[in-house]
Amino acid sequence: MLEIDGITKYLGKRKLIHNLSFCAQRQECIGLFGESGAGKTTLLNLIAGLSTPSGGRISVAGFNAQTHPYQVREAVGYQLQGDLNHHRMSVKSVLNFIAAVRGFSGAEKRERINKAATRLELFPVMDAPLAVLPMPWKRKVAIAQAVLHTPHLLLLDEPTEGMSPEQLLQFKMLIKSLSDEMTIMIASRRYDELSTLCTRALVMADGQLVADTPLPELQRNSRHYHAVTLAAQTPLDLLALAVLPGVAGIEEDQHAPGTVTVLALPGQTIYPHINALIASRGWHITSLSLEQGRLNDVVHHLSQEVRP
Amino acid sequence: MKQIPVIFMHQLTRYGCSPSTYLSAAVFLVLCATLGLHVGQWLERDSSDLQVFFQLHPWLYLILTPALSIQLWSDEHDAGFHTLLKTLPITPFECVFGKFLAAWFVCGIVLMLMFPIVLIANHLGAADNSVIRSQFLSSWLLAGSYLSAACFICTLVRQQVVIFLLTLGLLLSVSGIYSVIEALEHQMPIWVIDSLISLDPLSRFDTIDNGKLTLSDSLFFISMILAFVSASTVTLTYKSR
Repeated sequence: MLEIDGITKYLGKRKLIHNLSFCAQRQECIGLFGESGAGKTTLLNLIAGLSTPSGGRISVAGFNAQTHPYQVREAVGYQLQGDLNHHRMSVKSVLNFIAAVRGFSGAEKRERINKAATRLELFPVMDAPLAVLPMPWKRKVAIAQAVLHTPHLLLLDEPTEGMSPEQLLQFKMLIKSLSDEMTIMIASRRYDELSTLCTRALVMADGQLVADTPLPELQRNSRHYHAVTLAAQTPLDLLALAVLPGVAGIEEDQHAPGTVTVLALPGQTIYPHINALIASRGWHITSLSLEQGRLNDVVHHLSQEVRP
Repeated sequence: MKQIPVIFMHQLTRYGCSPSTYLSAAVFLVLCATLGLHVGQWLERDSSDLQVFFQLHPWLYLILTPALSIQLWSDEHDAGFHTLLKTLPITPFECVFGKFLAAWFVCGIVLMLMFPIVLIANHLGAADNSVIRSQFLSSWLLAGSYLSAACFICTLVRQQVVIFLLTLGLLLSVSGIYSVIEALEHQMPIWVIDSLISLDPLSRFDTIDNGKLTLSDSLFFISMILAFVSASTVTLTYKSR
């Protein structure tokens, strides 16, 4: 579906992307992670044909992006990072225009627009001018226009920025339903929000691909993998927690007093021991969760490794 | 080429939604009618054509053409929408030609709104409709060549005020070529004068306006349109790299 072979991108003498290669298959949902300035948006722009690589080859749905840029643009749906804005057009007229450009007309066009509007729950704002909508709604319109033609490859750049928890839940449901139909690539700095969505993670740092791995593997590299976070109203006996078998250490949350994270040694499971300790001591625990690993830490660590 | 109708309709809708389109069209028509009737004294002349009206068009297009051209790329002023357009399967030629055709079509509609004068001419009995048809065509061709030049300016600069002033300046220069030719008539070799005359759109406009519709004059305007549309396409292609 998507093949990237040794692409490099220069801006003047500055190297934005450095010899990057990977492939993506149909129905994959890929998280493109990396800190600010890592080259995520540059990579998406190159795939979408917004800019051309200085070297290497990009192929989408069998079309070379350099030799067949318009076929590639037909195969790709792209939600850009910045706000989608227009000083006069309404949401409906934007979707109408995009549908017409994508080659739909008549009943099929109406059906496509209705489907996209239903998926993104845009009906309350269909007649509203795009310019007056708040940022999360504009983002929804941007996603709607990207999925309208059921592309082979959907590129989303920071789609969850500014979303409320309810909107985030809806977004996750949308991506899950879309991942059956297309390849999805989501660039984001809010990695943990996407941990339940993506099957594979690409980590970029300084224009290089520093990790290409299944998402659970990436989570496993976190020191918080299989850690247990618990919060209590009364002070906890940290010594008792520390001496439990398989415990690597304890972290106290500076921002939430009474909340501690108990880290596990690699390959060890500490959750049952902590549960047993809570029961035996009779602690009033307000929350208890088993962590799958903090992607922020892993991505930050990987980024530090390549930094000169 | 399949996106040309989409861009054409989109641009036409944008013109339809913009009050400045109606305002510039109204100013064009009112000035044309007023100046033709009062300054040109068309009724007193008992003329069989509408030359007194059409001879004003090169000057009146100085109002209409910049007003239409500043709207040609108004979508591109919204940064997000401009970038979105780049992600769509639209070639620079489709974009330029679709937008140009819409602006030219609007010019055509404005010219059609001169129909009451044609009706009056026919009612008075002395109308030569073949000459009038030729006058309409020459005016429309001139408008097309002016709009294509304005379209090219729009691909070079983004600020609406600059586009307006540059278009106005260019059209004023074109309108002033004849005066330059007259001033240089005795100072320059005859072949230079002839070349300048052949490049002057207004002299060709006058020829068609007088009812002499020749292929060479029509092709001059069409080639001018194609040249500017091509230049705009090349500029956009270069900019998108």
